[in-house]
Amino acid sequence: MPNPETIRFKSQEELKEEEIERKIKERGREGEILGGIVFEEEKVVDPETKEEKTKRYIYIGNPYEERPIITKLETDASREEIEAIKREIIPMRESFEILEAMARTYKHRQPLLIEGSTAIGKTYLADKFTELLYGRGVKLLDFYCSGQTDVSELMAKWVPKVETEDEKKKWNEFLELAETQVKLSQIAQEVEQAERLSQEQKLALIHTRLQELAKSAGLSEKNQWRFQYGAVPKAMGLIRNSDGSFSFNEQKGMGFTLHIEEVGLAEPQVINALLKLRGKRGQLAEEIQIWENGGRKVKAGPKFWVFFSTNPPEEYLARNEVDPALARGVVFIRMGELSEESLRLAADYYFSYKLGEKPKEKPEGCILDIYNHPEIGREIAKVIAAFHNDLNKELKKGEKGRQQRIPLTLDDMARVADALIDTQVRNKETGLLDLTESLKKLIHFYYFDRLADQDLKETMKTNLNELLEGVTGKIEFEGKVLTRKEIFDILVERASITEEEKKRLEQEEIERKRRELEQAKHDAEDAIMSALQNPNIPKEIKERLREIKLE
Amino acid sequence: MEGEKLNTFIRLLQRVRKQPSQTFDLGLIVKELGSRVEVGEVFEEIKRTVNIERIVYDETIFDEDTIDKIVDTFQKNKWVFLEIKKDIGSFLLNQLKHLANHNFLQLIDYQGKDIFDMKMPENSRLVIFAERDFIENKISYPHFYRLFGPTLSLK
Repeated sequence: MPNPETIRFKSQEELKEEEIERKIKERGREGEILGGIVFEEEKVVDPETKEEKTKRYIYIGNPYEERPIITKLETDASREEIEAIKREIIPMRESFEILEAMARTYKHRQPLLIEGSTAIGKTYLADKFTELLYGRGVKLLDFYCSGQTDVSELMAKWVPKVETEDEKKKWNEFLELAETQVKLSQIAQEVEQAERLSQEQKLALIHTRLQELAKSAGLSEKNQWRFQYGAVPKAMGLIRNSDGSFSFNEQKGMGFTLHIEEVGLAEPQVINALLKLRGKRGQLAEEIQIWENGGRKVKAGPKFWVFFSTNPPEEYLARNEVDPALARGVVFIRMGELSEESLRLAADYYFSYKLGEKPKEKPEGCILDIYNHPEIGREIAKVIAAFHNDLNKELKKGEKGRQQRIPLTLDDMARVADALIDTQVRNKETGLLDLTESLKKLIHFYYFDRLADQDLKETMKTNLNELLEGVTGKIEFEGKVLTRKEIFDILVERASITEEEKKRLEQEEIERKRRELEQAKHDAEDAIMSALQNPNIPKEIKERLREIKLE
Repeated sequence: MEGEKLNTFIRLLQRVRKQPSQTFDLGLIVKELGSRVEVGEVFEEIKRTVNIERIVYDETIFDEDTIDKIVDTFQKNKWVFLEIKKDIGSFLLNQLKHLANHNFLQLIDYQGKDIFDMKMPENSRLVIFAERDFIENKISYPHFYRLFGPTLSLK
């Protein structure tokens, strides 16, 4: 019995924390992750109106951790929506590492930068995180960087109001000149340095310079100009309307989530512009000044949050690490490769069709409803995960003489899985699904035809054939060592049996047993008859034998 | 041209919706070095199966106009056949990525809206046609192939 002096009563808060942690770490019967994201409703009293309201919250934590850090966030989503979103997330360790980092940094208004390989699902999880906060189908603001990204796309620009196609053509041609970009940035710099001018004077200065620019582009000097904010100020001042549309208020907007992708590809001037987002104590800036608009400030609304993502430098040619200044100004997380365990888990989810709704009726082109046979899905998943991993290793070495990179993504597996539902090849001998040929055909479209290196293409084709039909691809299955093709054929044959055929086979089995019994009865009768006719068998035994009744 | 492969390619674009996002794919047709297949021939072949419009992205067209044409074609519930003949500009690349990842176009200050969202219609798709040599040597975005689902290589 515990010493009463050491007994400690837990507070309601502590008990609640323990309950949430238990739910975060919840696992199913087979050890599968069920937690990670928990929805709760709480009654709160509005301090102003004193009215009781129900508020919705989500708790996000990494269920793989023994003591997960759990972040509580307010959400607009319903319980049903949260459950549906959860079902769309493959519960890989990496997914929860990313979601947990997103929740933590979002709560503290810190910009987050995740560097990780393409397959890790950064884009997809950013979408899901937005849905967790705002509800199903709500899309974040996405901006993709490339070497050609211009600062004006992110920050702001002036666009002339051109009337004719000819003027539009002239202006666009003018804009594409490097010299024009220099002139435009010079105008912004001139305004930035004109500290003594009022905002109106700065705007007047900009207009004068723009008219000069228009003249040099061959446009009328009296041209009208329209100011256009870029993705960053827009996200800072966005307002989500009740009908799902967006409006913008540079001073009173609520702000929204902005995902800046592939930031590793951006040129230094773009990174410099993004550094404006750094605020105090590692948080996002509360406002930014846009010099292109005479130095007007745009306020960051309370829901403004920026998530940067990039791929590791080895996935880009001639690219360095993330800019150190940017890395210092954000919460920077460098993810490793997707583990083989996670890759297998993802393949299992895709080929067991756990992530979406299965077809209610067999679609056209579907020979076997493999989506209803997880035992087949599990075997396909093993093959695809092994092939994907093998090809990924080859691609990491770089293809011979090629500029483009092909990092494999989980989408490639998802595509094969979905296509396999109704793009199936029939085995002409058996009339059943030829799973091996169907897979080969789809892998061709989704993996092989992207490869430019013909030698690698041939090597991978040979490897795939070996994996499916060769000796080295053999594995143990139900006590026998078989090729994957043989395993597929067995599983397909079993799964192809229809209900009618099943009944017919059961009936045949009953009939077979009846015949065996009948035969056994006749054999016994013959044995008794033979014994009765045998003079060497004693009389008493023969009488006993006559008493036996065979039924 | 291998008709059966082209038919499978079109069928995959029409039918496949990736789990779990349920998004359709963009398609890529690659003309290999030395191939005698003509782009017009491929376009006409696809046109026999689906309602499709051709846009040539070359030095004579700007990204803004290309986007306008894509929006217009989608509004007519048609497929887009985009022939790439110059490096893809940032503006167009952004929208191609939006389409590839979300099946949406997302444009700032477009058609009078702060944020203009347009879902790719159920009956529309986008197919890009480019030569292998061009992709490898002229397209500066290093993950070009990642934008696409099925790829059809024409020899």
